Amino acid sequence: LSPLSLSRSPSPMRGPLLAAAGGAMGGPGGPLARAIRHKLTVALQPTHLEVRDDSPRHGGPPGAETHFGVLVVSGRFAGLAPLQRHRLVHEALRDELAGPLHALQIIARTP
Amino acid sequence: VREHPVVVFMKGSPAQPQCGFSNAVVQILRLHGVEDYRAHDVLQDPDLRQGIKNYSNWPTIPQVYLNGEFVGGCDILLQMHQNGDLVEELKKLGIRSALLDAEKDQEKK
Repeated sequence: LSPLSLSRSPSPMRGPLLAAAGGAMGGPGGPLARAIRHKLTVALQPTHLEVRDDSPRHGGPPGAETHFGVLVVSGRFAGLAPLQRHRLVHEALRDELAGPLHALQIIARTP
Repeated sequence: VREHPVVVFMKGSPAQPQCGFSNAVVQILRLHGVEDYRAHDVLQDPDLRQGIKNYSNWPTIPQVYLNGEFVGGCDILLQMHQNGDLVEELKKLGIRSALLDAEKDQEKK
């Protein structure tokens, strides 16, 4: 399963979840986006990772970095129920969630 | 959280959700014909907002509790809806999902 096909697989109620939204996917993103990417990489060693700043869709200005969506593909999720997978992601981002990160959409898959 | 089989902590109310994720939870429950549940608006009470996050050890709102047990946020509820788990969980609570009736109607036709 190549990363490209994964990011294009549709999810009925989400629509283009990981399509570029207002250019937020282009480039490395702001400091919070980079922190999220770094922490998730270290904690979960993902085979595929996408981090998207959704703040514009929630009334924030672009670059507000308050609402994020992440797609994480990692072998660490094997055998875990969705709730446990999400908790792993929350663990990795504990500091951010205690601070500026208000909302986090998570798709957590095994490779 | 045990006051009712289905309890939701959200932003806004089911009639007027104040956030897209909270709205998603309301819509999913509505799809299953679940209109009778307890919804708590955390925007009305900052202590509740922080308290429920501490209680479930979950950092975001909305939060869904079935039979007093924390089930997850809107992503998880959506997954349960898509893979049929939600119908099963509601059945365990004695709630018959409207989607089962919808399927029956389809079969009759």
